Amino acid sequence: MSWAFARGWTLLQAQRWTGTLTATFAFAACAVSGELGPALIGLFPLAVLGSAFFAERVPRRLDLAWTVLLVAVLVVLAGQVVAGQLDIVLAAARFAELLCIHRLWHRHTERDELILLLLSLLMLCAGAALTAELSFAFAFFGFAISGTWAVALTHLRFAIEAGRGPAGSAALLRSRRVATPALLGALGGLAVLGLAGAALVFFVFPRVTIGGLRRASRPSPVAGLGDRVDLSRHGVVADDPRVALRVRLDPPPAGEPRNLAMHWRARSLSRWTGHGWAAQEGGLVQATRLPRRPGSDRGSDLLSAGIEVVGTFADGVVFTPEGWPLSVDFRRPGFSRDPVERLYRNAAGDLFYQPVSGNDLTYRVAVDRGAPDVRSMRGRGRNYPVWLKADLEVPLNLDPRVRALAERLGGGKDPADAAAAIEVWLSTALRYTRELPGEVEDPIADFLFARRAGHCELFSSAMVLMMRSLGIPARNVTGYFGGRGTDAGYYAVRAGDAHSWVEVYFPEAGFVLFDPTPPSARGSVQESAWARLLLAWDALQQRWRAVIVDYDLIAQAQAMRRVGQLLSETGRRLAGKGGSAGRLRAIAQGALLALMAVALVLAVRRIRGRERIGRPAQLSGDQRRALRLWRAAKARLREAGIDPQPGATPRELLRTAPAAREVIEVYSRIRWGGGALSAGQVRALLRQLDSRLHERVAPPGAP
Amino acid sequence: MTPAWKRRLVFTRMGRWYTALTIAIGLAATNTGNNLLYLVLGLLLASIVVSGVLSEQSLKGVRVERRLPAVANAGQPALIGLLARNGKRRAPSFSLEVREARGDVDGRGFLVLLPAWQAAEVAYRFVPLRRGVHRFEQIEVATRAPFGLFEKSRPLDAPAELVVFPRQVPPPPAASRALAREGERPQDRIGLGLEAHSLRDHRPGEDWRSIHWRSSARAGRLIAIDREQERRKRVCVLLDQRALAGEALERAVEVAAALVTRELDSGAEVALAVAGGFLPAASGEAQRHAALRMLALLQSGGSAPPQADPEASLLEVRA
Repeated sequence: MSWAFARGWTLLQAQRWTGTLTATFAFAACAVSGELGPALIGLFPLAVLGSAFFAERVPRRLDLAWTVLLVAVLVVLAGQVVAGQLDIVLAAARFAELLCIHRLWHRHTERDELILLLLSLLMLCAGAALTAELSFAFAFFGFAISGTWAVALTHLRFAIEAGRGPAGSAALLRSRRVATPALLGALGGLAVLGLAGAALVFFVFPRVTIGGLRRASRPSPVAGLGDRVDLSRHGVVADDPRVALRVRLDPPPAGEPRNLAMHWRARSLSRWTGHGWAAQEGGLVQATRLPRRPGSDRGSDLLSAGIEVVGTFADGVVFTPEGWPLSVDFRRPGFSRDPVERLYRNAAGDLFYQPVSGNDLTYRVAVDRGAPDVRSMRGRGRNYPVWLKADLEVPLNLDPRVRALAERLGGGKDPADAAAAIEVWLSTALRYTRELPGEVEDPIADFLFARRAGHCELFSSAMVLMMRSLGIPARNVTGYFGGRGTDAGYYAVRAGDAHSWVEVYFPEAGFVLFDPTPPSARGSVQESAWARLLLAWDALQQRWRAVIVDYDLIAQAQAMRRVGQLLSETGRRLAGKGGSAGRLRAIAQGALLALMAVALVLAVRRIRGRERIGRPAQLSGDQRRALRLWRAAKARLREAGIDPQPGATPRELLRTAPAAREVIEVYSRIRWGGGALSAGQVRALLRQLDSRLHERVAPPGAP
Repeated sequence: MTPAWKRRLVFTRMGRWYTALTIAIGLAATNTGNNLLYLVLGLLLASIVVSGVLSEQSLKGVRVERRLPAVANAGQPALIGLLARNGKRRAPSFSLEVREARGDVDGRGFLVLLPAWQAAEVAYRFVPLRRGVHRFEQIEVATRAPFGLFEKSRPLDAPAELVVFPRQVPPPPAASRALAREGERPQDRIGLGLEAHSLRDHRPGEDWRSIHWRSSARAGRLIAIDREQERRKRVCVLLDQRALAGEALERAVEVAAALVTRELDSGAEVALAVAGGFLPAASGEAQRHAALRMLALLQSGGSAPPQADPEASLLEVRA
């Protein structure tokens, strides 16, 4: 390879390697879906490398074995499809890959090369059906470039072989002066043209979808926030830079900060397990309407958040921003209603959706951000409803020091003041660390009195237990905190932003958020290069999805409308008077006139060029009369039984038809030598010919 | 006359598959609404458009001239040249096939590259199977560039004719009766031959090589010798084709051509007499060309019997 790079490529080498490269990009388009399976993903690179070095050495007698193997695979795959164990698109992709591998090892004729390229195209299509990831875009781009090279070089190679024969083409095919960087660059330019055309076709092709054979969505494993928290884990809380939520806020946060300080609530955990928390048991009920915040007027400070949950983190929980949730809308923009009611809630008031598909999910949550402050919570008493029993439970084995600490901080105070005091004390007196405590007998006591340091779950758990020990209902809440602004216009909430905080109940107000974790330690601090790279990738992927993957009839109509508006605006400005509109109109008129003049000149040149190329020299009037004379004379000769030999020149005709001597001489002189010939002369010559032919046919003395 | 804008477009095998796949992917995209399939569809359609534009650019401005051989014999290969000129000042033409179309002759040549404002010649071997006129009607310039999906061709009017001479066969052995009248023939007048015509007195200033020394010695004065004017051997090849047709006519024409060639090669003046035609005796390449052309165009039939040259030895071709 390096040797070939150093000396340049022969046409044969370039053609074969670009074909291989095309197949590789097509394979990559399939492989990024992750559905081909590790065996097939590993097999293809090995087959490519092997074919480069050993394909020529494989004896032809093994062809039958290849065929038998492929037929067997086809039967197995067909059986799996029929049995419903395998998706037909995936089966087709797998079989296309095997056919491609087979063809990579059997590249002898033009047919083999063309089949390889067509199979590569099929694999690319299978990849398009299997995945919508940004990785596909790179594979597609590579395929477009290398495919252009491969198709053009394959055509060139076999055109040379067909045009010059095997012997005549050998030297040219092995020449290193054909597949030069200049040629490859020019073909790359063609590919870019093709991509530009592809973009144009993509955006204007009508999106009228039948939807008959749409492939079902692929379920993926759920890895979101669970319904259980275990505080006895070992190790260190790791930063996970993967994007879990993509959030767009309306209205945008003031000043549009790079880092968003926002709690994204997932669910509450009320039941203490001894080493952590678990959700309350109970089923889900459909939530056709969300409850109103007690004692508050709706609409004081509304916030609408468009939330896109990445499929890997979509486990059925509805994330809500800080505030009282007012509505959750699963409808896609432009669709009037969702055909299925998807929103559910449990006894604790946490929101869920069903069904859970494992795909990315987008919904819009409206919340009332008018959060009550501590002052307004005071004096609401301790008349708690019965259903808060779970949120008042204190573990029997709670360390007395915890209760004593709670009493010291909030005992005798109003619940609002007690909650605020405990929150402040925890966030200031204790240190945040990512090191997990491991298996200790009482993680809360260990956190508060031994290590005096911990992560967010320990802070929130300690506060909940301390509040409950004071007889104030509280619960642990999980979710995310934060959000990193991206260039794509959304905030990315990453898996490492997982967080835990507290909700304290106040009569006539409901649960109110308290976060005892030191503010600087909430969420994650992910500024590593890897984290930034992942964020940039995610932003790029979102643009890809917004512009390409989710481009539908509505987006197309909007785009067309924008183009129409742009044209209309331009026309309006051109039609306007005075100021810049007048100058713009003058410039446009000048440009239009210049364009018309250039088009006129080009058209005239083209027409004149066509006349020069396509038409014979114009005949003069005398020459045209000579031509008519010649044709008329030949017709008369035929009538007289003198059939001019096919292809006979006038001089040759003279031998068999001496009667036409004058006609022939005049024709030759005028047609080729110039001179004048009147219509009268033509008639006279023809009359003379008639009379001579009559004399020739009629015997002397005949009437 | 074929208009300059006329083009012919045919699918190649690859093009048929490509188009079928494009349609299938278009249907799949429309059916599923999968935008990535639309993207693939866009690439395929754009490639077709790019292919069409570039192939047109390749064909545009290309002119071709045909170069026919001076002599062609039936059964023997002849090289026919096709001189292609690229009239574009900047753009080269790629992968051009130049070929005969609509005529009696089938031949083609291939040019990988025809640089801008340059010319290149390709030649093809043509083995005529029969004598006579072979017509050329058009030359097609075709290209499958850049992707080999379609073949676009442009017909160019280039009418021409090539008269193919009869097949070359060995001449029959000379007959003894015919040999009796062969040889150089004196014409009984003074000339530059070998035979002596008369003796006379040598004139002063005359070339001394004209002195006949033996007679001068006998007469005691200088005697000069005049030589006779000798005429070349004259042969008339006679072919009466009135009753001949098909293979018999062809064999007779080939034998006549062989006789004409043999006699002209031996330096004789050769006349050719056929039914309905006569070529007066002459020698040289022009006569050979005229006689072979006459034989190449000879058809069966004719009303008048062939008229032999009375001054010439007669070589009659019999079927």
